[in-house]
Formats: sequence, structure tokens, C-alpha cells
Amino acid sequence: MELIIDGKTCKANPGDSILNVAKREGIAIPTLCYHEAFGGQGSCRLCTVEVTAGGRSRLVASCTYPVSEGIEVKTSTPAVEKIRRNIIMMLYKRASGSVLMQKLYREYGCSENSLGEKEEERCIVCRLCVLACEKMGTSAISTVMRGIDKRVGTPYDQAATACIGCAACAHICPTGAIEVLDSGNTRTIWNKNFNLINCERCGQPFATREQIDHVSRLSGIEDAELCFCEECRRKKLVGKMQGFSPC
Amino acid sequence: MNKSLIHLLLVCCGTGCVANGAREVYQALKDNLTSDDKAVLAATTSARATGCHGLCAQGPFVRILPEDITYCRVKAADIPEIVEKTLKQGEVVKRLLFRDRQKKTLVQGQNDIPFYQRQTRVALRNVGLIDPSSLQDYLERGGYRALEKSLLDMRPEQVIEEIIKSGLRGRGGGGFPTGLKWKACAATPAQPRYIICNGDEGDPGAFMDESIMEGDPHSVLEGMIIAAYAVGASNGFIYVRDEYAQSVASLRKAIEEAENHGFLGENILGSALSFNIEIVRGGGAFVCGEETALIASIEGNVGEPRDKYVFPSEKGLWGQPTIINNVETWANIPVIMERGASWFTSLGTEGSKGTKVFSLVGKVANTGLVEVPMGTTLREIIFDIGGGVPKGRSFKAVQTGGPSGGCIPSEMLDLKVDFDSLSQAGSMMGSGGLIVMDDRTCMVEVARYYLSFLAGESCGKCVPCREGIKCLLEILTRICHGQGEIGDIALLEDIAETMQQASLCALGRTASNPVLSTLRYFREEYLEHIEGQRCPAGICRELSEFWIDPIICTGCGLCLPRCPVEGIKGEKKQAHWIESDKCIRCGECIDSCSFQAIKVK
Amino acid sequence: MSEQEYEENIEGFRKIISGFPGEKRYIIPIMHELSRCYRYLPRAALELTAEYVGVPFSQVYSMATFYRAFSLQPRGRFNIKVCDGTTCHIKGSNILLDEIHKNLGIGPGETTADREFSLETVNCIGACAIAPALLVNERVYPRVNAAALKEIIKEYRGGGDNDHHE
Repeated sequence: MELIIDGKTCKANPGDSILNVAKREGIAIPTLCYHEAFGGQGSCRLCTVEVTAGGRSRLVASCTYPVSEGIEVKTSTPAVEKIRRNIIMMLYKRASGSVLMQKLYREYGCSENSLGEKEEERCIVCRLCVLACEKMGTSAISTVMRGIDKRVGTPYDQAATACIGCAACAHICPTGAIEVLDSGNTRTIWNKNFNLINCERCGQPFATREQIDHVSRLSGIEDAELCFCEECRRKKLVGKMQGFSPC
Repeated sequence: MNKSLIHLLLVCCGTGCVANGAREVYQALKDNLTSDDKAVLAATTSARATGCHGLCAQGPFVRILPEDITYCRVKAADIPEIVEKTLKQGEVVKRLLFRDRQKKTLVQGQNDIPFYQRQTRVALRNVGLIDPSSLQDYLERGGYRALEKSLLDMRPEQVIEEIIKSGLRGRGGGGFPTGLKWKACAATPAQPRYIICNGDEGDPGAFMDESIMEGDPHSVLEGMIIAAYAVGASNGFIYVRDEYAQSVASLRKAIEEAENHGFLGENILGSALSFNIEIVRGGGAFVCGEETALIASIEGNVGEPRDKYVFPSEKGLWGQPTIINNVETWANIPVIMERGASWFTSLGTEGSKGTKVFSLVGKVANTGLVEVPMGTTLREIIFDIGGGVPKGRSFKAVQTGGPSGGCIPSEMLDLKVDFDSLSQAGSMMGSGGLIVMDDRTCMVEVARYYLSFLAGESCGKCVPCREGIKCLLEILTRICHGQGEIGDIALLEDIAETMQQASLCALGRTASNPVLSTLRYFREEYLEHIEGQRCPAGICRELSEFWIDPIICTGCGLCLPRCPVEGIKGEKKQAHWIESDKCIRCGECIDSCSFQAIKVK
Repeated sequence: MSEQEYEENIEGFRKIISGFPGEKRYIIPIMHELSRCYRYLPRAALELTAEYVGVPFSQVYSMATFYRAFSLQPRGRFNIKVCDGTTCHIKGSNILLDEIHKNLGIGPGETTADREFSLETVNCIGACAIAPALLVNERVYPRVNAAALKEIIKEYRGGGDNDHHE
């Protein structure tokens, strides 16, 4: 099917969201809670766009809105920009300690924080960490409470049995809100302590035992083959490839 | 009524009256009738525990038929007198009759009580008249005749057509045309399909659905079974708010009875339709009144709504076509099917057909449940039926639509209540709560109260709602504590706009309504708080001071003992005064003064 | 039962949980039943529930903290619920909360040290005509003011009338 985004005719498939199509076409729509691994959540609403369908215009979240034949999308209008500015302004109030939020705050022209006192936190409750942990198959963290108290944490805010210390959550977090304390051969994350094992090739600490075991269990690959840090694994692979001659 | 019976006594056992001792009244009645010397009486008298009679401010009630004598404010200790005087000797116990304060008369029959006279009870047709645990009572009042007619004489498409023709719009707040919902569900090919009843009545001040679920559960079941036939569904769910234990019990009993008599289960009434209903109890979350959050909750998730770009009628429970309607909507279905769409359209207005049940509460004399045709004015509901504002105070506003609604001022009392007129006035119908406020209500504090309610009830998933509510609440709290700033109002309006436009669900989109509607009609009150540093209603403590006008005060001393902090001083027959630093602004003194000598500075 | 005994009552938890089908959609019904029996949700019971229905523990915990009907802390023998619905609010539910704090020293969400009383505010209980209302366990008290509240607390304090208990 076809739809129009910012005057450009784009092709789409049933089940695509406006954001899917825009990304494919190289049309930029800002997001905070979106990651291609998980699809759209519809939480941050930064991706709000204006859609005209059947003669009716409305403001929708482009990451969850399913495309249909002949709709017209405008990714930027005064109303849309105002919404985005207010979203950033409100998130900055909450997460002013985050470098990303500081940057966006300046970018969106929120010249002075008229929302009173700001908090020095960093979490914007985008839930990407929760989704990453789910994807890892561990689901050690989840959202806790609701309303204005909603936050992310482990059950009872204690070390979670399910946590393998892989730090995928910290890695995917856009605002650097998850603390990972790596010191020598120990790692502390989400109130849990881990021992980091050393890479077989370079000897640097790189992953937890639990993480290796977990990946081994899920992938069927032997433990021994996994005990290499990312760089060494790549070098090993290149080493293997050097044995092949181009045909 | 059974011919061998001479008397039928209806005792209201709705939640409100139960709190006031109604069950003790009912038990006293039963005990009294079964005592030895009353054998004859017992054989010809039936006592029935019914659902809410509606006039909650005057309960507990004992209504005697066929004479139609309604006794109000009955205590268990009054029963022997009622049995002796009224049942045996045919005399009326005057002190228990309804007192019409305006006409200064005693009223005997329910239909002569102004509160009831102006009502048209359609959804509440059986509530207060039947014992909800008796299928027999329901059948005697014409119950399940509509089901018979729909199932045996009509095709499913015809049933849907009839509901579309009736113009019935959802009574839960959305006001979406019910027939179109059913049609969309039937048109979606996927199977299976589900029928859901939204009994998560969460608006504070609303207890309409509670009264229907408690007092006439079969009307809900019948409506759902008819829908199951119309769209082809075999499973239904009634999602009941956690706080409504009595409703759950009442529905459970009704389902059991319906199953035993072939109205639920396999081959209903001998037809090909098989349908079962399950009760699901909520977990204490207002947001689960939102359709998609309710569905998420049934599925075993947190109650987080989903974007409704595709409706539940296409993809709902477990991704299947689902009809989800409110309790009052379901209660209307059987009567529409039996009496026909044209009869239904004869009631109400152009855009809003039928009647609506309202819970009239707050600063109003006759608090309770009221059902009137759409298009009835607010004035008629609040003053003619409701008896106006008590204690000599003046009407200030009526809040409609719960936390998603708004406040309507006295200039708009002649507004004809229907879905569209309330939206245009900056409020909404919502589920039907009407909270009357007097001059001792601070409109800024009301906005703050609703935001603080929503702060805990929002699911917290989307930014405009979660962070928007937090910001609005912070600003309003500051204003109520005397720390309002110039620019606060503009900020409130700016954030409110983003919430309206960008929130994921209706909770977020309407969360700013209480603020916006009070700003629209009571802007001066906000300015008084911010610039004048004063709360005219005398509610915001830092901004109010109570004083006793020495010119009016007679020194009667009535207020003195009422003060919980012993803050009033004065000699008898001499002007009293209030010790400001002790005063907690509870208002008990103002309420007790018959001379209106106590004022807000 | 002491808190520790609760936590160790695995057999009791298992019995309750296995009375339901092992599907995600029974998490809330299971929690209701556990709450009814134990007056709160013991951690061990939640862990068993997660195992039984086949969802991660973090998800069950998420639901236990999302839904207000449940408590992760043991509630008092007498659980006071003050209605803070709009009608009760404009008729002075705040005053009741202040009075309870004065008399029992607890605020909303708290339990007295002797585990006798706990306090919560609840949304409208649908008894608006008798506002302000409060519940002690499941019993509704109408039109409560400061003086009536003192009496109610006295009633429960005085040896604890056992037929008021659920």
C-alpha cells in the first residue's frame, strides 16, 4: 500500500507502523522509548505526528499507529513541536542529571525550566531496560508501582535471583540511569554482586559466570567457546578467516 | 404479587443502607413476623431485601405494598411498632414518613415523594422492587422475555439493527453508539468472540452500577446473553471493581440461578446458543475502567491501556473481537429489545436517547440515585428532585463526569443534560456522578484533589499523563498553600493542552479537565489564591481565617461544643470569638450556626 | 502467626495456589485468595505463584505493586479504610485522617507497632449518601466525625470484638 509522509509517497506493508515506514524512507521522527528490537511502546509520545485519514486529522503516536492506504502524515507541525517541547521539558524536570535530557532540553528550546525544582535523577521510565532483560530471557527487572510513583526495579529492590549481571539494561538505557560498578574482578548492578571472569585470550575481566552459563544454555554453544571478550572474539574470527582464500 | 399475600414489605439493602443498619432492620422484621403470635400475619406477609431504593439520604427504608407506604430512617427498634400499627391495625406511623421540607407536609406514598415523582426508571426498573437473589422476582417483572424474543423470534442481525435504531450510547462515559460497537464486532471474521461487562465503576461519588449489580443482576446477564446471540460469542466476563463485594456476591448468585434455569450454559432456551459468564474481580485500579486496561487486567497483566487505533470490537481480549459495555448499558438492552427501539427513542434528546442514572451526592438534600430522561435540566435534577443545597448555603457548582469531567457553575443550571451538552460545557457525562458543591467548596482545592487522585491512579506508562499530572499537581498544591505565582495559570493551561493532545488513553487525555473547567468558570478564585492570597471558601488553611461577626452573634453557644479543638471562646449571650491559631478550618462551627454569624474573612 | 511463620508456610501457599489453573490470567484471583487468608502477600507465596503460572517473578511483583487491593506488608488485625471519594473528601475525610493519626499514630499505608490497626485511604466505596464513610475490615461506618471516630477506635481497642474480624 501507499501513504504520504511529509509530501513524499511511501510504500508500506500491512502491519507497518508510521515509524517503521518513516525509518525505511529515511524520514526522521524523534523517539525516546523506541528500539528496533522491540517495536513501538507508545510511552514517551515524542514520536507524535499528525495523521489525516478519511478527511479527519488527529495527533497519534507514530510508533504504534498502523498504516492504511492513502493516509497523509505530517511529522512536524506547530502543534506537534509544542507537544515534543513539553514532553522534553517535563522529562528534563524529572531527569536533569542525564546528559541526553540536557542535550534535548537545549535542542528543543526549553530556555528556562519554568517547572520549578528539578530532580537529579536520570530514569525516564522508558522501559527499554525491562524489554532488554526480557529479551535476554532473564526478566530480572520490571516496572514497579503505578502513577507518578512508577519506576523500574528488581523485586523488593533486592538482588534478583534471575539477574545474570550482563548489563544489557545499562547498555540500552538512553539516559545512563543504571549504575554498573565494575572494579577489578567484581561487578555490582541492581544491588547484586558478581565475579567477572577473565577473557581466555587477553586476560581482561569481561563477563560474569552467570552470563556465560546463561548464553551457553540458551545457545547450545559450549562454555569454553564463550570465554572471550568481544574484541578477542572478533580477532579470533578474523584469524580464522585469514585461512580462507578468496575464490 | 402472590394472590394469597396481603402485604409485601420491601427493605432496602443497598450498600449505603446496610451501613446504616438495614440488615438489622430486615432481620428484625423477619424475626418479628415469625414469632409465635404472628402466625397468620406471617402467612400473608412477605419481607424482601431489595437493592437500593434511591433516596439514600433517608434510609433505611421499609416500603409496604400494596398500600404504598414508605417508612424512612427506620431502625430495628421501630419494627414492632410498624408491624403492630400498620400491618395489624392499618395505621400509619407518622414519625417515620418522608418529610417534604418545602411543602412542610408528610408524604406517604413513594410516588408522591418529589424525589421519585420526576424520575423515569428504566435501567433501575427493578431495583428496590425485587429481591436480587430471586430469579422468580425477576421473571415476575418480565425478566428474560426479551431474551426469548431475541433468541427465538429474531435473527442476530435484526437484534443488532434494533440496538442501532435505539440510539443507545455507552453509559460508562465514552458515549459510543452501542449498536455500532456490536456491528463492528460481528463484522470481524475472527473467532472466538467475547462479551465483557465493565463493572469497574471507579468515579468517586458514583454508585449507579453498584446498585444495578447488587439490586438487579439479571438485567445485566440478560443483556449480555442477548449480545452473545447477536454476535456469536460463547464466553463472557463481568469485571467487578474490587471494592464491590456485595455486587460480586449478587452477580454470583444470579449466574448460578440463570445456569440452573437454562438461561446460561449449553443450548439456552433450547436454541443453538451456548454462553457462559465468569466474574473477574478487579485489583483496585481506577484505570481498569478504561476498556483496554480492563482487557489487559483480565489477561493477567498490569492494567496498562493500549493505543486504541484498532478498537476492541476488532481486536480485544486475547486479540479477539470483543464487545465491552458498561453495566448500565447492559441493563438497558433487555428493555429495548422488549419494548422496541422506537419506544426508547421517544425518551431523551436528539443525540442522546433514553434515560441516564445519576448519583446525586455532595451538598444536596436528597442524596441518592436518580434516573431521568436525557435532556432533563441540571436545575430540575438538583433542586426539584434533589431538594437543593441544605443548611441555607448557596449552590456553587456541580461536578459531573468524575475525575475526567468538569465543574459547571450556577449560570448553567438550565443546561439540558446529555452527552453533547456536557462536553460543550467543558465537562462530560462520564458514568453519571453529579457532585453538588456549595460556597464552602474551594474550586482550586477540588482541582487539586482530582489531580492527586489521578496521580495515584494513572497507570504511569505514558509521559504526558504521568509527568503532566505530577506537574499540574505540584502547581495546584503550591497555589492552595499560598505559594502560587504569576504565570502558574498559563503553565497549567500549557501542560493541560499537551496532556489532552498526546496522552495514550482517555484517562490522560481528560486528566486536565478538572483544572481547565475550574479555570474556565472560576478563574477569579484562582487569582484570589495567587494574587489575593485568600481562599474565599475558607478551605485552604494558610489562606483562610474564620471569624465570628460580633454584630450577628447572639452568644447562643451552639458552636462551642462542636469545635474539635476547643477554639471558640465566649460568655453566654455575648459575642463569641475564635482563637485563630487553634482553628483547623473544619467548618463544624459554620455548620452549627443558625444565624450564619461565622464567616470566612 | 508471626511474619516468619507466614513466610515459611509453603504448604499452605501451595494448597491455595494449586486451587487455580496454572495460567497467567489467574494471578489476580490467586492474589485475592492469598490476601484473604494471610491479610497480605507473603514473598514466598508470590514466588510460588510465579513458578506455578509460568511467568517471571518480577512480573508477579510488578502486578502486586500495581494493584492497590494488595499489600506486601501485613495489615493490622483491624484494617481501617477511610474513603477519600469526592463526596467524603468535601465532607471532611481529611479531618478523619488527622484524628486517626492523633489517636493511633499512623498515617495512610502504615500499621501500628502492635499490628492491631492499619490505615489506608480508599477510593469511593459507593456509600456517598452517608459521607464521610469509613470501613473497619468489611464493616461500613456512616457519617463519621471526629467524635464518632474516637468511639469506633475505643470499640476495637477494648479487647477487640472478635465478630468484627472479617
